[in-house]
Amino acid sequence: MGQPNTNDSKWGKKAMTPTVEFYHNRIRELVAERFASSGKPWNDAVVDPNLEFTKADFEKIEAELLATGYRFEMSAQISQQEEPDKYKSLVGVQDSGNRERDEEGREVVGTGDNVFNAKANVIGTARMISNVEIVMEMLINGVPDGTIAIIDDSGGTLTAPILEGFAGVVCMGGTVRSHLGILTREYGVPCLMAAELDGLNDGDTIEVEFARQGEQANGGDSNSRRRIWKIEEIGGK
Amino acid sequence: MPTKNHSYAELLELNSWIRKCSDTFFWLCTTRTVQESKLFPVNPYIALSYLNAWYRYPQLLRKLEEHMSAEDIGDRAREVTTYANAIANGIIPQFYLGGRQILIDMGMISPTDALDDVAYVLDFSRRLNLSYHRNHAHILASDANQRMQLLPERVVQVFEADAFPVKPGDRLHTAVVKFLAQISQYAFLSHAECRLGIHNSGPYMVGENSEMLVRDFVDLAEGDLPWLDGVASAVSYNNLTIPVILKDTHFHIVDDWASFEATPAYDHANMAAVGVYTSDYLSGGYLPVAMDSPDTLAEFLENEREVLRKATSDLWKVMATWSRDQLIDAGLLVYYNVPKDLFHIAGIYEQEDWFTVEERAQRFKPLMNDEYGRDLIAELVGYISLSSQQGNEYVMSKYSMARGDMWSTIPYSVLSDDEFTTSVGQIRGGSTSLPAKAGLYTTTKGKLTQEQANAEAKKLDCLVFEDKYRFLDDEWMKLHPNDPRAQELYLYSQRNSRTLKGKGASLLRGDFISPEDK
Repeated sequence: MGQPNTNDSKWGKKAMTPTVEFYHNRIRELVAERFASSGKPWNDAVVDPNLEFTKADFEKIEAELLATGYRFEMSAQISQQEEPDKYKSLVGVQDSGNRERDEEGREVVGTGDNVFNAKANVIGTARMISNVEIVMEMLINGVPDGTIAIIDDSGGTLTAPILEGFAGVVCMGGTVRSHLGILTREYGVPCLMAAELDGLNDGDTIEVEFARQGEQANGGDSNSRRRIWKIEEIGGK
Repeated sequence: MPTKNHSYAELLELNSWIRKCSDTFFWLCTTRTVQESKLFPVNPYIALSYLNAWYRYPQLLRKLEEHMSAEDIGDRAREVTTYANAIANGIIPQFYLGGRQILIDMGMISPTDALDDVAYVLDFSRRLNLSYHRNHAHILASDANQRMQLLPERVVQVFEADAFPVKPGDRLHTAVVKFLAQISQYAFLSHAECRLGIHNSGPYMVGENSEMLVRDFVDLAEGDLPWLDGVASAVSYNNLTIPVILKDTHFHIVDDWASFEATPAYDHANMAAVGVYTSDYLSGGYLPVAMDSPDTLAEFLENEREVLRKATSDLWKVMATWSRDQLIDAGLLVYYNVPKDLFHIAGIYEQEDWFTVEERAQRFKPLMNDEYGRDLIAELVGYISLSSQQGNEYVMSKYSMARGDMWSTIPYSVLSDDEFTTSVGQIRGGSTSLPAKAGLYTTTKGKLTQEQANAEAKKLDCLVFEDKYRFLDDEWMKLHPNDPRAQELYLYSQRNSRTLKGKGASLLRGDFISPEDK
């Protein structure tokens, strides 16, 4: 009896992403090698504890990928914190130097999908809320009035203890249905999701288009993206 | 020798269930995005939870049915709000099949491996969901056009009749709105960034222009989640149910993940009436919470909101100090343990069964960096792009039009040849990097030890679970409202009602609502 499922699956194809392709391909190769050298039929080999993969086997596969120079994209802060050598450096908000201006000549530094139509736009100070330390500081000292949180995490847990204190939220990920979208709607904190930002700095004074006359709640259903204007750059420019 | 344990008819049914699971999960996953968090390594823990489910569910679920059948448990779960709800029950086969598919794609198993296990877990989950969803006679909300009418008339009537009218600006309305925000926040945090602590069912038609959504929040107090020991000591109830009646609002989606969407969008300003209840595997039904008057309810919600706000802050401070392995274990276990309350219902809950990671799942941790976790889950449940998921060149999948499907079916070849294995074998212990459970379990019978809670569950004896009444559904009620058994059933569900106690089975809406509310 042959091995029933290997790299030569009739309709198989490469995975879309590099880590999945590398890991799964490598594991399949090792399974095939182990199976062939065991001399056992598949039914016996697949349940043989002596042929099982171990934690050390998987550590070796990861090491093989890292040895190629590949570094992983991080999601959770703790991952890069514990193993900085395995992860790429974080990239902040980019600055194209070629930002649009609106009909009144105001500089547009981003757009996003509105979670709900607020009563008014919000003008405040943009603060990058991207790690546990910043949240802890605001938890202990309070969220400064007029803080518009710029968050690159569509989850609802990083900012859990301080979310209610924000004047507004701009999230660089997710959709209006993401956890952060659900929670800001419940709290009534105006929020843009899936924001694309250009040239926005921590500390800039911004206005966010959380309200648009004539539109009802659930602005996320709208086709038009809401804008973020830079009113004053940090440092007073 | 071909399998003697399974017939062709059985495999046809099982493969149909597998494909239904594939299709519904695809729709649910792709109407969201890949969930990421700066605090929790979400996708690595999701993938690991699938693997833990694969290795552990078969033995645990078989043990469960030695004590109580899936159908009995589904009936009991439907009468109360626990973690054994629509999202958790529906997701049992999904997580299990997710573990199977990852291993198939790695070439470590074939679709014909662990045949008896796969058949058993799928059959169990199908029977459980059929029973739980009995009232609307579908197996999933998606089969009911994204609607989930779980409850019979006798329960919904009490929810409507006892609900207090509210309007924006009054004390109770304000208290409810603020409480819902806080409890949602707390539920996401206590469940490690997943939505499994939040549940919605319904809607139910309430007059011509209003609908009732039943909002549930589960595992809030000191109980199964060991990280709530201490930080949640002041939380009053483990599960809360909040029926809300909204005017001029149609809930067009209440989906298999118990999320809702409405037209126009859910707006607290449209909330017209509300109530609050608690229940669990020991309550035998819903118990009103502070429902004596609008003021007593508002006061409870205001106070409990402060309790939850402090618990959120305290819990966040604990979690912010956790290692990556601890953050992964917390999320992994919350996902993996979706069947845990079935065991509470049967009175055989063991903390270790649901809060440890089997060594065969632990070994995959070195692979689970953030990027691989994210891309694996995206390919597995979103893009359907893994090699093992591909069908032939003519295949067009139900929603995606992709060439393949999320979960591999069982090849019928097991009926004609010997290329299959039967089981993943016995559970091989488990471990976790998280602190062990030390506190008591908050129940409607007080704070109990695990042994006390199991003993109470085993001796639970209430009318609606008795065979004499259990099979008397609304279809029967239609023609037997004057039957003494109908009367007893309604009196049981009305026993704690402020307005309907003793009213009995013949009641219609017009008998208890005021003319102006009709």
